[in-house]
Amino acid sequence: MCYEYFGSYAEGLYKMATNKAVFILDNGAYTAKVGFSHSDHPRVIPNCIMKAKSERRRPFVGDQLEDCRDVSGLFYILPFQKGYLVNWDVQKNVWDYIFSKECCPVNFTEAPLIVTEPYFNFPSVQEAMTEIFFEEYECTSLLRINAGDLSCYNYMKKNAGTLCCLLVDSGYSFTHIAPYIKGKKLKQGIIRIDVGGKMLTNHLKEIISYRQLHVMDETHVMNQVKEDACFVSQNFLHDMEIARKRDAENTIARDYVLPDFTTLRRGYVRSIGTADKSSESEQQQILRLNNERFTVPEILFQPSDLGISQMGIPEAICHSISVCPAEAQSHLFANILLTGGCTLFPGFRERVEAEVRSRAPDHVDVRVTLPANPVTYAWQGGASLQQDPEFFNMTVSREEYEEEGHNLCFEKFDI
Amino acid sequence: MATGRESGRLKDANQKRVLDEAARRRRMRKALEALELDNFHDDPHADLVMSKKVPKFQETLESRGGRKKKTRSAEYYKQRFRKTFAQLVEEDQNYNPDPPNYITAQAAPSKVPERHFCAVCGFISNYKCIPCGARYCSVRCLGTHLDTRCLKWTA
Repeated sequence: MCYEYFGSYAEGLYKMATNKAVFILDNGAYTAKVGFSHSDHPRVIPNCIMKAKSERRRPFVGDQLEDCRDVSGLFYILPFQKGYLVNWDVQKNVWDYIFSKECCPVNFTEAPLIVTEPYFNFPSVQEAMTEIFFEEYECTSLLRINAGDLSCYNYMKKNAGTLCCLLVDSGYSFTHIAPYIKGKKLKQGIIRIDVGGKMLTNHLKEIISYRQLHVMDETHVMNQVKEDACFVSQNFLHDMEIARKRDAENTIARDYVLPDFTTLRRGYVRSIGTADKSSESEQQQILRLNNERFTVPEILFQPSDLGISQMGIPEAICHSISVCPAEAQSHLFANILLTGGCTLFPGFRERVEAEVRSRAPDHVDVRVTLPANPVTYAWQGGASLQQDPEFFNMTVSREEYEEEGHNLCFEKFDI
Repeated sequence: MATGRESGRLKDANQKRVLDEAARRRRMRKALEALELDNFHDDPHADLVMSKKVPKFQETLESRGGRKKKTRSAEYYKQRFRKTFAQLVEEDQNYNPDPPNYITAQAAPSKVPERHFCAVCGFISNYKCIPCGARYCSVRCLGTHLDTRCLKWTA
């Protein structure tokens, strides 16, 4: 009896809350950030289907991966390719899971939806997106928007009085630099660098496999190695010199203890020579990381290191600002905002600030902001956009869509 | 006497294959494409048909009952919106031929000179392997490179 009472009470609360709340889906190529606008944080869910060697019975969708004991040799099936939604069957399966009772239950006939898209998203992908949400998920109203617009909105809200914002979004597939002036993006200033977290992980896999241990199949584990051990160098050539040194003089080299999935589920970084001589540590598999720790993130700053003839992030920032109107330029230099998973490398913000500072004119201020959580920043922007009085003018309702179709969506949503 | 003496060194040099500029660029492009791969290995369960319908532990029989609305299968959407990335880019070029668009947003080449790193150890390199053009930094690394990758390895 008691349980039933509690159940219905909770359900009532849930219904009350969801009547006003907006559901926000920041649909990234690596993780989807999902949740209702009234919650404090979104849930961050891998936007993919994975197959494990150890589990033959079923694939793992999204965060079901937590149920998987042994993630060695994980096989990824991704809905995105080069940052754009291409594999709709995969995406549909992941979305079905995310919106289901098991994950983040949502009734789109009641809650409006904000869904994010990359810059310059292709028209047919946009059409497919609109169609699937209105016709399959029966959305009551929809707002499709660039994730960067939400980040910028969040930034303007938190820093009242700022007019401009230069967004750097360094994600899984690529890095975008986008200038916003008075809340509007300047499309001709948007620059894409084709380097993102995926390329860095694959490159790390490649060099470790050649130099030490074959880890080409271990994307999942090597991604963790990258997250745990890599950093952005503040003085690249100097760090190269340190990495050349031997023994105690080399303050960069570290050991990485790889997970074995029986006693250790996630690997960790260990200083050299601190291993205990127990029998346990004899069975551990170790990677010795030296210059790999900083040459890998360095690609974001100088893609030509890998033979990609594109500008690095600081150079692209300055190039993007130079395209903008002269009166906005000093404001843009003073409001550089970093979002996306790659900005989590230690030293990222400092390096961007130092390099942009040295390239910018003397008299302008350069300020680079790294939010507390650069991954969910766009989602948070969506949550505060929902309170904006303009919000419902930005959305397209199902009736409007049924009346006017895709044309209205192309008019209203500025992707 | 009539044949004269042959120089082993010269003969060797003539036989050595040297990759031309185009082949080097091709290899470079292939290496970059490999960095875009989702997986290096093949699907471990490619021969298995996995089904979402396999019951999981937390599910009871009732909860697997009929759904109210008939939803379309993922396969339907795969067929409905089937377009490869290359097709999408091409279509975009017809739809939005004027900048800014996907193609023009790509970052321009850097003005900063390229740096070169040893293909073996990753440190700064000053030399280039003659046959294949890979960078190396020392005789030791060159030896490793010749033994393992030079002209043997195509990424």
